[in-house]
Amino acid sequence: MTQRHPNPSGVDPITLAVVRGALETAQREMTLTLEKTGRSSVFNLAHDYSNALFDHLPEMVLQGQDIPIHLGSLIPAMKAVAGYFGDDIHEGDVLYHNDPAYQGSHILDCCMYKPVFYQGELVFWTVCKGHLTDIGGPVPAGYNPDAREIYAEGLRIPPVKLWDRGRRRDDVVNLLMCNMRARRDQEGDLNAQYGACRVGERNVLALLDKYGVETVRAAIAELKDMADRHMRSLIRSIPDGHYQGKAVLEDAGHGYGELTIQADITVRDDTVHIAIESPPQLPYFINSYAGNSMSGIYLGLMMFAQVPPPYNEGLYRCVTVDLGKPGTLCNATEPAPHVNCTTTPMETLTDAVRMAFEAAAPERVTASWGHASGINIAGINPITGEQYVTMVLASIISGAGATRHMDGWHACGPLCCFGALSSGDVELLEYAYPIIIHRYGLLTDSAGAGRFRGGSGTVWEVEPIGHEMTVISFGEGRQIGTMGAAGAQDRLRERKLGRLEIMADGKSTVHRQNVITHIRPGQRARNVNPGGGGYGLPWQRPLDEVCDDVKNGLVSAEAAQLEYGVVLKSDLSVDREASERCRCEMNRQGDKA
Amino acid sequence: MKNQFRLGVDAGGTFTDFVLVEQDGTIRLFKSPSTPEDGTRAIAAGLAQMSEALDRSVSDIVSNCDLCINGTTVALNALIELKGVKVGLICSAGHEDSIEIRLGHKEEGYRYDASYPSAPQLVPRHLRRPVAGRILADGSEYAPLDEEAVLAAIEYFREQKVESVAISLLWSVSNAAHEQRVKALVEQHLPGVFVCSGSEVYPQIREYTRTSTTVVNAYLSPVMGRYVNRIDEYFRSLGARSPVRYYQSNGGLAIGNVMKERAVNAINSGPASAPQAGLYLAGPFGIDNVITVDMGGTSFDITLAKGGQTNLNRDIDFLRQRIGVPMIHVETLGAGGGSIARLNDFGMLEVGPHSAGANPGPACYGKGGDQPTVTDANLLLGYLKPDAVLGGSIRLDLPRAQQAIASQVAEPLGISIERAAYGISTLVNLNMANGIRRISIEQGYDPRDFALICAGGATGMHITALAEELGAQQVLVPKFASCLCAFGQVISDVKYNYLASMPMRLLPGCALEELEARFAEMEARGRHNLMLDGFEPEQIHIRRSVEMRYVGQIHECTVELPGTPLQEGSLATVLAAFHQRHEALFTYAEPQNPVELVNLECTVSGLVSKPQLPSLPHNPDAVEDAHDGFRPMLFDDSARWVETPVYAGERLAAGCRIVGPAVIEEATTTVVLRPGWQASLHESGTYHLTRWHAV
Repeated sequence: MTQRHPNPSGVDPITLAVVRGALETAQREMTLTLEKTGRSSVFNLAHDYSNALFDHLPEMVLQGQDIPIHLGSLIPAMKAVAGYFGDDIHEGDVLYHNDPAYQGSHILDCCMYKPVFYQGELVFWTVCKGHLTDIGGPVPAGYNPDAREIYAEGLRIPPVKLWDRGRRRDDVVNLLMCNMRARRDQEGDLNAQYGACRVGERNVLALLDKYGVETVRAAIAELKDMADRHMRSLIRSIPDGHYQGKAVLEDAGHGYGELTIQADITVRDDTVHIAIESPPQLPYFINSYAGNSMSGIYLGLMMFAQVPPPYNEGLYRCVTVDLGKPGTLCNATEPAPHVNCTTTPMETLTDAVRMAFEAAAPERVTASWGHASGINIAGINPITGEQYVTMVLASIISGAGATRHMDGWHACGPLCCFGALSSGDVELLEYAYPIIIHRYGLLTDSAGAGRFRGGSGTVWEVEPIGHEMTVISFGEGRQIGTMGAAGAQDRLRERKLGRLEIMADGKSTVHRQNVITHIRPGQRARNVNPGGGGYGLPWQRPLDEVCDDVKNGLVSAEAAQLEYGVVLKSDLSVDREASERCRCEMNRQGDKA
Repeated sequence: MKNQFRLGVDAGGTFTDFVLVEQDGTIRLFKSPSTPEDGTRAIAAGLAQMSEALDRSVSDIVSNCDLCINGTTVALNALIELKGVKVGLICSAGHEDSIEIRLGHKEEGYRYDASYPSAPQLVPRHLRRPVAGRILADGSEYAPLDEEAVLAAIEYFREQKVESVAISLLWSVSNAAHEQRVKALVEQHLPGVFVCSGSEVYPQIREYTRTSTTVVNAYLSPVMGRYVNRIDEYFRSLGARSPVRYYQSNGGLAIGNVMKERAVNAINSGPASAPQAGLYLAGPFGIDNVITVDMGGTSFDITLAKGGQTNLNRDIDFLRQRIGVPMIHVETLGAGGGSIARLNDFGMLEVGPHSAGANPGPACYGKGGDQPTVTDANLLLGYLKPDAVLGGSIRLDLPRAQQAIASQVAEPLGISIERAAYGISTLVNLNMANGIRRISIEQGYDPRDFALICAGGATGMHITALAEELGAQQVLVPKFASCLCAFGQVISDVKYNYLASMPMRLLPGCALEELEARFAEMEARGRHNLMLDGFEPEQIHIRRSVEMRYVGQIHECTVELPGTPLQEGSLATVLAAFHQRHEALFTYAEPQNPVELVNLECTVSGLVSKPQLPSLPHNPDAVEDAHDGFRPMLFDDSARWVETPVYAGERLAAGCRIVGPAVIEEATTTVVLRPGWQASLHESGTYHLTRWHAV
């Protein structure tokens, strides 16, 4: 019996599929433009940007598969920015914004919004958000662990017009650029965003030429309805009830101790309500304003839903969210400092939501991904005399969580990016910046143990050439390890944590908190990222797979015995008898636990 | 009688196609089932058919060929099936994982898919041996090579019975001394083991791309080497007068000795000859901008050539491996006659990328397939003849096609089967048009400036609809469309790409003379190699291109340079060409900002004489004779069946003009002329399709 798919809107199903394809092409070509023309390494190497199309309402019509941390927040941000200008939106305008008080994610993520008019009528918005390498303020690259207020972090850009009815407002662009380091990079990235918005515009105008506003609008409405019906069917598959997830946010240097974020979800028929409870906001840069928190929540939801593309706002229609009391960590208000929020506490928030869904639908469980523990670097290039500053995305590549059927991917995280980042080629980085990258590799024993092993985390080690370099660390996962699932457990937790090590004068100093430090030639900074969580009981992992992991240096012989109960002989073959004994014992202890 | 023929043997996964071209332009096509375990058996079978058709002995034919050309999927299949050899990698300490980290990225389309597996590793981690020693970006030595570590790696490889060694060290493009030393040690201590290094295989900046390319080459070359030895020996035994030429992914030929060392250069050679063939066929029409489209059973391949020049692609993911070496830019989609139409989780109609393949194939094949496919839709729309027999054995079964489309698409969507069939056809056309956008609009070319060249047996049914979708005004359909690629191979030149890396800012007073010297050096190498291969200086053709970008950008634009030597005054011209290209691609340029040069490339071709095209007799009145009745067909979603005339292509002569709606049936292809189109048959055996009124 074939399932019937009702189409109450009456939109012709073929036209619908055609419109969908055209929208996807528009979004794709926007992304391509940004990738190819972006100026900073964060844009052009790392893909830390996202593109979307909105309709006149403005509701999100299509989001790419870009960075998850951007895309949830785009939904409220678009509405806030359009709402700010109200009737004062005209053909040829280009709006710009980064301020979390207007639903931005963090101030480094600057977003361009271009209204698309067709025959005098506003029909679409092409939207492009990207992480600039600098946004002014006291600390290069924007991550200032000493900021007690948002005002001490960098330039806030409330909604402004960069183009007014087709005329570029050079005064406003200049105002923004004068406040940023490495101006040429920032201006190049702004041009790239403008190019992307125009490429998107060119595409949707062609679509409107072909089908007319009415048909396109009807098709878009139906696309959103379809997404809505699909998400509702997934929610309906969960038994009605309350489910809870809790995740602990480590103290990454603020001194207020560990904090717990709690997600309570209530499923009723085909709707879900997600309520967040978090501690009061802190004078430390890990507060998340509403827009950013929506991204964290939607990512947790998507880890459960695992919906294939395309993605639009209809997916979230059956979802209601309560971010908790204003003035709390996940619903921060002015003057809370926030720059670290896209990773911390966003990833912990995502974990809490994901775990609540796990409680609701255990068959869809996956282990956690490593959280971001990275560094920014800055200095004066001794050859060109130019200032440089960048977030090193290669330094935040953590391991992915294992799933019910598979080991986690190595080097695919962090959780907040979900594989959308690209760490950039080592030679291109060494060509762009005066540095030597001594190491960028997988780290032994960094992966969570389990029947299915987590993905390995990475280590990134750098030395400056001919100058003193500033190193600024951010993130977490340095004290609390990545969570496994379905009984996975780690005995060598220390090895699975992130950290920053400064190696100078024959000494190594380990930092497990966010710091600003400096290194000179001959000294090195080594940043370690956590691996992904494992899935299932480690001592049920087949002996040969553990043996292979040891042979490949992903698991040490010591960890093979301690975590997996596999005893190896000196030639690295398995001592089956000893292993069986060891595993029996682990199983017995595991039962007691 | 010498040089009477040219032989092309295109060994595909299923069939091996043979093209035998005579000097007068007569083209003969043959086909035999491929024999992957020993390619010579399929070749022997094809040659036997040829011998019978011409009533001449096989060695008589082979020894009268000026060239024997072989396109092979040996390397491609080994990569698909992961049946290359055991490889050891020697790499810079600290960077042994770059090919497994893959820039930390997960492919698009699988963002939230928890069951998408990670990419297969051609070299397991324990066979990736790091060695200390470090060159920096400027070519200086930061730390000397640790030869002890190299020897230890070699010893481990020997123990592990490694068959092939890849060497890739950081910044070997700036200073290859360490790599060369490692290579010498490997050659000394592991005689008989294949070895290649990054600075030889892909001398361009980007460590991950270079290492991955080198590893793929090491993985495939020994397999390719065994194949080449067998084929070379076989043709020598038949009296071939010159070495067999093999087809490369860059759209050119190479001798076996080169191929054995650089199997990575052959991994996508199958569709790479299409642009060459397209340009050749378009020659008589004065057209030099072509987009070739080739729809087979499971996939759709697109290529583009502009101004008579083929289009190369570099640094791409191919079968999930990063490959740097230039290859003809082929955009491949999962859109073929066997592509399945289905409703997705949201209830939306999608066509492809899943395919019913050849087995069970479309529902109408009656081989057990019950999923509706593009072929089923074409049958229902009347484009294919009901009860027609394909490939001598498969009879098209209309009721099965109707049943599949009704139950899987029309009924669930609540629309008629005609509408559903037309919708399937529309969607596959849209997918194909989007693929064409990727190779044209996304590369800064307007598809309306190009003629579409129809290749592959199934394309003709979609070609006028595709042209309408893209706004293309002209289409060319050769009678032998189904073998276009095999034909392209026999009209291609010998071609080698020489690469170098030379980062510099293009400011007034910059050292253009050094750039010139670098080009001159690469060209001299190219000329030398081609002259060894028997080419005369006047047969050697050289093209230069450079990759440039604005300072701070990471992705380069490729810009062609004129062949004239670069000197001080050339700077302005070079920069202008770059700004223009950037604007065409990305809607803006920044003429005030500094530009830097990164990589250079020099393409050295040995020109090979081209066989003539056929010459058909002229008789415009043959149209009436060729008219073969009518068939009802659908050309829009109105459910209005149109009685459409059918023409037998084999009875048409040069000068015949056919006005759409109409269908022309050739032995191996069917051409649908939608209303508003006309076709005239040119004496060279190509249909020229144009619009006769505004559609």
